[in-house]
Amino acid sequence: MSSKTAESKTLDSLKDLMLKPEKEQIQRIEDRLDDPMVRAKEISQTLPEAISLSIINNNKLSRVIQPVIDESIKVSVKNNPKALADAIFPVLGPGIRKAISSTIMGMIQSLNQMLNHSFSIQGLKWRFEAFKTKKQFAEIILLHTLVYQVEQIFLIHRDSGIVLEHVVTKDAITQDPDLVSGMLTAIQNFVKDSFQTDDEDGLETLRIGSDRSVWIENGEQALIAAVIRGTPPLNLRIKYRELIEEIHIKSGAALKKFNGDSLPFSIFREQLKDGLHFQEKVNKKQISFLTWFIIFLILTSLGLWGFSLFKTNMMWTGYLERLKNQKGLIIVSAQKNQGIYHISGLRDPLAKDPLNLLQKEEEKRIKITTHWKPFYSLDPGFILQRAHKLLKPPSTIKLELSGNSILARGKASQDWIETFQKTALTIPGIDGFEEGLIQNIDKEKLNNTVKGLMAIKVYFENNSTNLVKEQEQRLTQVYQKIKAIQMLQFKLKEPLQIVITGHADSSGTEKLNLKLSRNRAENIFNYLTGLGINSSFLTISGVGNNKPLKKENDKDDRQYNRAVSFDTFYLLSTKGS
Amino acid sequence: MKKKICMLGAFAVGKTSLVERYVHSIFSDKYHTTVGVKIEKMQTAIGEEIVDLIIWDLHGEDEFQHVQLSYLKGSSGLIYVADGTRKSTLATALNLKEIAEKTIGKVPFILVLNKMDLQDQWEIDDLTLKDIEDKGIIVVQTSAKTGDEVKHTFQLLTKKMLDK
Repeated sequence: MSSKTAESKTLDSLKDLMLKPEKEQIQRIEDRLDDPMVRAKEISQTLPEAISLSIINNNKLSRVIQPVIDESIKVSVKNNPKALADAIFPVLGPGIRKAISSTIMGMIQSLNQMLNHSFSIQGLKWRFEAFKTKKQFAEIILLHTLVYQVEQIFLIHRDSGIVLEHVVTKDAITQDPDLVSGMLTAIQNFVKDSFQTDDEDGLETLRIGSDRSVWIENGEQALIAAVIRGTPPLNLRIKYRELIEEIHIKSGAALKKFNGDSLPFSIFREQLKDGLHFQEKVNKKQISFLTWFIIFLILTSLGLWGFSLFKTNMMWTGYLERLKNQKGLIIVSAQKNQGIYHISGLRDPLAKDPLNLLQKEEEKRIKITTHWKPFYSLDPGFILQRAHKLLKPPSTIKLELSGNSILARGKASQDWIETFQKTALTIPGIDGFEEGLIQNIDKEKLNNTVKGLMAIKVYFENNSTNLVKEQEQRLTQVYQKIKAIQMLQFKLKEPLQIVITGHADSSGTEKLNLKLSRNRAENIFNYLTGLGINSSFLTISGVGNNKPLKKENDKDDRQYNRAVSFDTFYLLSTKGS
Repeated sequence: MKKKICMLGAFAVGKTSLVERYVHSIFSDKYHTTVGVKIEKMQTAIGEEIVDLIIWDLHGEDEFQHVQLSYLKGSSGLIYVADGTRKSTLATALNLKEIAEKTIGKVPFILVLNKMDLQDQWEIDDLTLKDIEDKGIIVVQTSAKTGDEVKHTFQLLTKKMLDK
């Protein structure tokens, strides 16, 4: 055991002799490895180089370290937000300012447009549209005013001002793009130099007149300049921003080495063209077939309605015209109210019913209410008509007007003549009458009857008051005629007396004959009064043989003179038959 | 192929007249005095290659101003123009060359002595000319009035730019 210990000691000494420096080195390394402070100190010296190398080799470090940094930022923000805020303020500040200023610019622009359009006809139209679509007025304005057209887009090499690519819409009028691009670059430089701005971006917008502008999106090596007509939305700028960034990512190297050959950049032509394309925003609503059809229907029905209205109106005026020309009607007012026509005025009772003047078709279309007050028309036709109505003349009478007088012509009875006399002046429109042309048929009848009576003789037997036989019929005739005369004279108010004269033949004495003839007349008188003839109407006379009816030559002549004859006379008046 | 070139030189050396009859422009001379540059375009061909020269005709100032320096950026070639009848303009041109090289580095260039039609007033002697040429500077004498050598000058510069 002791030998073994000694052996081991010897080996250790040997080891010390042989490996001491290495041992110490290993000890130092162990110490270093064990002491984190020492290691940290060492790593801190090599870390920057290590990071540089890592960036060269695939950037692996960035990826690895990213979660750590993210976490650190989170912790930092949690523990002390102010520190981070202070740190990023200088970066954030300008960014926010820029965003705010462009927003305010946009708002001012809209506000301007709103004010400009508020009171114009266009404005009113848009207000109506806003009302119709229930959208905000401002929204409608934006919708309409954000009509724009990107006319040209330049992709320009920033330093030389040489055009790398240029796209243009079909109908835009353009100048030589190389010259425009050069001058644009010169002006950008000029502005930058003149105002000594630190901002790398320089000019961002050029406004030309009220509706054209050039938007410039600057990249490091190249820029996009878009010539825009109208008012584009701000997000368009973001699209250009993205495009110029993409161009730099894809062709950054080519841009750096650019020597005047623009061919490599033609690959962006389509994208730039898209930049023209997606801006073409014309807010024209296509009117559908249905809308056209509805418009057509509306117009057609409006037309028909209008035509019908026109037709009804024509009928109405035509009807009114006819009414106005109608005798016995005076229209005071005629108006339409709620589809019904109201007519009021004066109407002669004899005038035609105005409603009967409506033709069948008119009756269908025009609804009419009337209100008439009666009046007498002084139209001659109406006066005559009225006279006919009141006088009811027989068919043998013709009524005529002579001025304001009425004249009757023809045959009429005493009764009618009296009516005429009494009524003529009561007829409205008449202030005189003429009856001289009327033939009184009652008077004629009286005359004729008197004549008939006077032609009749009643014969008697010789020296007797007895009637010769078979004279009953003759007596009846006498009676009837006298009765008629009595009635007629009463009607005509003519104080006519009938004289019954008795006659005798020349045989016998005069004294006897006188008595005989008177008895004969009395005999007839008694007969007539016995039948009811008023005695005061009759006068008896006996003339004997003093007034023979015939010269006596033979016995027949004597018989002829044995008779009673009749005659008439007027009591008070001289008027005779 | 498009190349931007700048024309630099003192006031009234004839820069504008030099190119006037060969170029296409849409801008008025007003730009010279307002923005300080007028841009023109000239097409030229070297062999098969057609080159559009975008000529930035810088407003001639006797003292080169800060404003114009940025106009030089991105130039592929420069033409310095001096007036042969005014010796001082040559100095200006050479001075401009110094400044331009400081600003954008070395690019192909040509020194033009204009107004060679006015030989009797010529102020630049052969010795001075030789000194300049010895420095490796290409000098072309032109006349904007007669058009002599003008086209040649642009072609020469174009060739140099393409050869670079």
